[in-house]
Amino acid sequence: MSLLSVFDEALRVARPDVYYLRRNFLSVLVTMLVTPLLYFVSFCYGLGSSVSDIGGVSYVAFVIPGVVALSTLTSSFSAIANKVLAQRIYYTSFDEIVLCPLSPSAVILGKALVGFLKSMLACSILLAIGLLMSADGMHVTPMLYLCIAVSCLTFSFLGVLVGFISKSLTDIIMFTSLIVVPMTFLCGTVFSVSSLPEAVQYFISALPLTYSVECIRAAALGWGVPLLSLAVTAAFGAAFFAICHWMLVSGRISKK
Amino acid sequence: MSSSKRPSRDPEAGASEYIIDAEGVVVRFGEKTAVDGVDVKVLPGEIYGLLGPNGAGKTTTIRVLTTLQTPTAGRISVGGLPMPSENKGIREKIGIVQQMISLDKDISVRENIICHGYFQKVPKADIMRRMDSISSAMGLTPFLDSTVVRLSGGWQRKTSIACALMHDPEILFLDEPTAGLDTQSRHMLWDMIRQLNKAGTTIFLTTHYIEEAESLCNRVAILNGGRMAALGSPRELCDGIGRFAVEHNNEDHTRSYRYFSDWDGAKAFAAGFGDDESVVLRKTSLEDVFLELTGRKVTADFVKVVRI
Ligand SMILES: Nc1ncnc2c1ncn2[C@@H]1O[C@H](COP(=O)(O)OP(=O)(O)O)[C@@H](O)[C@H]1O
Ligand SMILES: [Mg+2]
Repeated sequence: MSLLSVFDEALRVARPDVYYLRRNFLSVLVTMLVTPLLYFVSFCYGLGSSVSDIGGVSYVAFVIPGVVALSTLTSSFSAIANKVLAQRIYYTSFDEIVLCPLSPSAVILGKALVGFLKSMLACSILLAIGLLMSADGMHVTPMLYLCIAVSCLTFSFLGVLVGFISKSLTDIIMFTSLIVVPMTFLCGTVFSVSSLPEAVQYFISALPLTYSVECIRAAALGWGVPLLSLAVTAAFGAAFFAICHWMLVSGRISKK
Repeated sequence: MSSSKRPSRDPEAGASEYIIDAEGVVVRFGEKTAVDGVDVKVLPGEIYGLLGPNGAGKTTTIRVLTTLQTPTAGRISVGGLPMPSENKGIREKIGIVQQMISLDKDISVRENIICHGYFQKVPKADIMRRMDSISSAMGLTPFLDSTVVRLSGGWQRKTSIACALMHDPEILFLDEPTAGLDTQSRHMLWDMIRQLNKAGTTIFLTTHYIEEAESLCNRVAILNGGRMAALGSPRELCDGIGRFAVEHNNEDHTRSYRYFSDWDGAKAFAAGFGDDESVVLRKTSLEDVFLELTGRKVTADFVKVVRI
């Protein structure tokens, strides 16, 4: 099966999401941008002037890529997870997708696709706002975009995976409050993780957002090519995808 | 168990005669046996109904026949293709409308139908053409631009059927297509199912409405507790327990029934009751058959408890 045909099939799977987005573009956009904009306001304006420089850049410049990384997670994860869960459990439409001549890879990619594109858009807007706020020291490069793209894709796959393994909305809410919310606070989005206690550092080193923040920040602030953290972020994404694939092929995603 | 034979066909001639041919299907969920040794043999072009109370195993049977559920045991072929080796080919030949409405509720009817065309890899040039012809045949055209959430249950169900028809399946599976619908919508769907069948689609449907099985199906299988209790045309099933029924209203508000194959016997029996007793002599209905086979007593006991 060629990559091209997987992509063609993924576009078919993503089509309903495209229709939905076309109708509700503005509200979707606003919803995505609220959390990161609140971070911008509270950390850059509220806190920014009273915090000293970190790693040779102003606190504001430090926070901006952190918030961009954060939104690679927040702008699509829960939308995808909730939708996939609903399609599996409440509408059983996932069973019908399984009956269609579409490869499992295409189904996973298709379910993640619109979320991924939405996150990319949100990140671009946030980056533009960030540049207006503090352009000094920021490097918008292809490398930065690669880091953002890998991160968006990783968390879109995480959304599909959580949609696959959850048995009800309660499971998603639990996953969100036990894993996602701690990630948004602890993974170095608005402060340097080196200031945290060692035990916490061990914990957050197991969380994908840590690496996503690391590579996006390094790329944005020109701190060298963050190959390792980019690779770890991608590895998380590949693992999420692989588990989804295994669940689909072994028939574990069905409601029954 | 009786089996109906259409005059033009001889079902015993060979397995290839049946478009759905399943033998000894068993489905266990842990300790629970949902389907317990069921045979399903459907002739091309017929409307075959699986009638049974809630929990009888209808959905599980449909899920097995549509490759969605791997059976614990059983030998199955659909459209002449064996399961599971030819599941891919089987999926091309079947359409399914599940018990729950599985449409994308936030987008329009048109968009849902088009999406199904894309999922099924219908050639792009054909998608619009098929959507137009299917939706006009079903009277869906005026609703094409409505968002699915805004439609009533009957139109949502029709949209689901339109989606399932986009790849032109030979066999359409309908799991309780009219459950929860009002009378108008139900009759509208029945007409539509008959039209589809006339156009050549084999229909396999499940229902717990006796009326539906009676008015729609060429043959009805009664499923109870995961087992087939009877099979035949509605007429044959009634004849099976006796064409005439004598219904006696007991003093404790319950009823007793007896069935007779001949009118005279039934009449003589009814005449045996005293003048002050309430006796009804009538034709046996599919409802009688259903209740006899799936446990009339349960219902009678229930009535008693309620009245006390
Ligand atoms: N995934 C499952 N796990 C355990 N029991 C199940 C499962 N699916 C169905 N059952 C049980 O199997 C029986 C038949 O279910 P079903 O086929 O849905 O019945 P029907 O569609 O006739 O109402 C029911 O008792 C139901 O509880
Ligand atoms: Mg059912």
